[in-house]
Amino acid sequence: MAVTRHFDEVEHSRRRFLSGAGVVAGALVAGHALSVWGRPLAAGAATATATAGKAAKGRTVVFVELAGGNDAIDTLVPYTDPQYRRLRPTLAVDAPIDLDGAVGLHPGLVALAERYRAGQVAVIEGVGYPDNDLSHFASLANWWSAEPGSPGATGWLGRYLDRAVGYDDPLAGVVVGPGPSPALVGERSFATSISDTSGLAPRAPAWLADTDDLLDTWARMGSARSSRRTLEGKVRQAIALTDDARADLDRALRADATGDDAALDPRADAADVSDGSATDAFAVAARLVTAPSPPRVVYLTRLGDYDTHQGSAARRDALMTDLDTGLGRFLTTVEAAGRADDVIVVTLSEFGRRAQENGSGTDHGNAGTHFVIGARVTGGRYGAPTTLSTLDSRGNLPFAVDFRQLYATALGWLDADPEPILGKGFTPQPVFTT
Amino acid sequence: MWLDDPLAMSTARTRRRAEVAHVYRRLSMGPQPDLVADTRTADDAIARALDLATPAATPPAIAPPVDDEAARQAGQIGTPIAWWVDQMQQSPRLIEERLVWFWHDHFATGLQKVRYPYLMWQQHLTLRRNATGSFATMLKEISRDPAMLLYLDGITNTARERNENFGREVMELFTLGHGHYTEQDVVEASRAFTGWVVNIPGRPVARLLSNPAWTSAFVPSRFDAGTKTLLGTTGALDMDGALDVLLARDATSERIAAKLYGTLVGTRPSDKTVRRLGKVLRDADYEVVPLVEAIVADGGFLAAEARNVRARSPLEKLVGLIQAVPPTGTVVGRVGPRGQSPGAGNALRTLGYVPFVPPNVAGFPDGSALLGPHQMVHAFDLLSVYPTAPTVPATVDGLLDRLALVDVSDRTRTVLRDEPDPARRLALAVTAPEYSVM
Repeated sequence: MAVTRHFDEVEHSRRRFLSGAGVVAGALVAGHALSVWGRPLAAGAATATATAGKAAKGRTVVFVELAGGNDAIDTLVPYTDPQYRRLRPTLAVDAPIDLDGAVGLHPGLVALAERYRAGQVAVIEGVGYPDNDLSHFASLANWWSAEPGSPGATGWLGRYLDRAVGYDDPLAGVVVGPGPSPALVGERSFATSISDTSGLAPRAPAWLADTDDLLDTWARMGSARSSRRTLEGKVRQAIALTDDARADLDRALRADATGDDAALDPRADAADVSDGSATDAFAVAARLVTAPSPPRVVYLTRLGDYDTHQGSAARRDALMTDLDTGLGRFLTTVEAAGRADDVIVVTLSEFGRRAQENGSGTDHGNAGTHFVIGARVTGGRYGAPTTLSTLDSRGNLPFAVDFRQLYATALGWLDADPEPILGKGFTPQPVFTT
Repeated sequence: MWLDDPLAMSTARTRRRAEVAHVYRRLSMGPQPDLVADTRTADDAIARALDLATPAATPPAIAPPVDDEAARQAGQIGTPIAWWVDQMQQSPRLIEERLVWFWHDHFATGLQKVRYPYLMWQQHLTLRRNATGSFATMLKEISRDPAMLLYLDGITNTARERNENFGREVMELFTLGHGHYTEQDVVEASRAFTGWVVNIPGRPVARLLSNPAWTSAFVPSRFDAGTKTLLGTTGALDMDGALDVLLARDATSERIAAKLYGTLVGTRPSDKTVRRLGKVLRDADYEVVPLVEAIVADGGFLAAEARNVRARSPLEKLVGLIQAVPPTGTVVGRVGPRGQSPGAGNALRTLGYVPFVPPNVAGFPDGSALLGPHQMVHAFDLLSVYPTAPTVPATVDGLLDRLALVDVSDRTRTVLRDEPDPARRLALAVTAPEYSVM
């Protein structure tokens, strides 16, 4: 990732923005009829948890992390806003796909627009965290830990897995990307990280040749007498757990939804998602989600490079097309497998981008626009509607909806209590139909 | 033991060798096989590990980058990592290497945010210079270290606009520990830490600074000169003044003592031991070596229940591999996001254990966090340190000697014997349960 931060951003990275509860509440009052996001919580949120209940069994959330800071303004384009062409003289999107006469989606987001029209997309506008830090690293640490300002060593999904699963099922949370995500690091659980459909396979040097054979031999080492209470006993357990996870993953990744091995998509099979392709990562996710025992959490990390300081128009268009292709195919596969009612997709990104372009791209901004997508989603626009006439002091879309409300909603979908994971004040928002 | 009983003698010898290997695993970054072979008793091993008589190696000369752009080339971290790993595996100053890593983990600072490899290298030299010296001096130097000032936002902490990142972490992570300060103390300490800048050539503010490029400086106009009250001490505290307040608390010396005990011994010290060791550190004016000596003299250090209770980290595994079977080519190589490169750099990256790149301010993972399926499977990646099949001792015993593995189960021996290829045997040995603990 091209991590470029300008001096002015460093000098002022802790300037305070609209972070008081009163300001947020105001934004909500002025917002759409559907705007129930924000803190403190609207009373209407209480109905949301009822959605979850026992139905949460077998549910999956697929998180899509658009690393680098996705540009909210050219994703959900306020093309009727008189400021738009002034702020984006060279980058402005030409033919957005209109949603409601006021905003439209980037023209590459064809499948997403279709789903929106089908009422399956909740668009959450103004998502961020208080006292935005414009550093990628600091922002990601905040998003991963869900402890903005003082991120600890565990990730928020790690804490979820600690409570919901423990050490028993290392496939309850699967990261798809070049390496593990800090978001899934827990204290009493393991998440698994894979980079392609080869699953849990070593990237060993060629001279080691047949690593499957080594891995088969592996579990036969160590004293059979070592107690599970000793560390060596735990290592033996970990090896056995890893072997099971490898075999389960292989079954999930090598077969398609019908269980027919021959129906492999050769492209997905060969895909190495470490090049950051969302299309490839979604193809791996589709296999995981349509497996007999799907993960609860699939986390697509480090997709592309959304840090579009320069070369933005072309790069942005390519990123949007890649994202949409992956998402569209994923949703179709999930539907075909009869899993549509069990799966939601949630996008994440550490921040949005500056409203005023810098000539060839955009610099780090504050709030972002995110999507919750699924057959059980009540579609519509939520949060603080995107308007370019009320930017914050640095010319960014202001923070209005705490990202932890988005997290709480995803946890609600999984039938988990958000409070021990996120702290007080965050509850599932009612964006799901019962 | 009967002198005329060969079996008893051999058992005693094995027990002593196991103890010697244990001491070296704990007091260095990895047991150098020749040293293990040459050392008779655990006491000899302790004396050897703490011996700092041999002068330190001269670090490579790395020229300061000419400007901001040149300074950001991430590839430049390759030389520092390679040199450091080489020190870990072969420096004669054993305890120094253990402590340099300990302090890097303690004062975890990451290239991801600092972005200037040169500044990470400068911080490393500061840690190395102080690793066996005074913790108080090191804390003060690290607090104004350019990489730390960038990492925990010290350069944006001014009288006009406070940034509490460093003020909070210095108390929570570097000194007192959670629960020993209030939110108001974070505010007061942060005020005392205001006023520091880093001269980065090419940045606008650099023109206004007179300190040398790539160094930090105190700028009075950015400093909050007012009166602060930190942990009950009131005065016009500046950085060192605030740090002295933190150092004067028993909680600081006891926390450092307990943490170092956990690393060197591997078990949790009793409250009584923590109080005793904290006092040792304070009485020695925060000199670290007396604390190390007190820890290894503690009955817990050689106790049976302290054996094999620590998970061997990916970095310690790599060091052990290099010591056992020296690679002929590039050891670390490029640590990049994409593509193949020689050496074990990308393996360390996959395993989240690249020096200078801790995952977060809390440092590198340990314990059970090293036993997840990802960590377990990708331990095999460390064999990338050999671009072609290495020459490995032909016998199982020869290989185990090089790895300083003494107590190996019959099951593991059987697996190793059944593998005809010595190089593949090495891969199995370093992923065996016995090698995964220390």
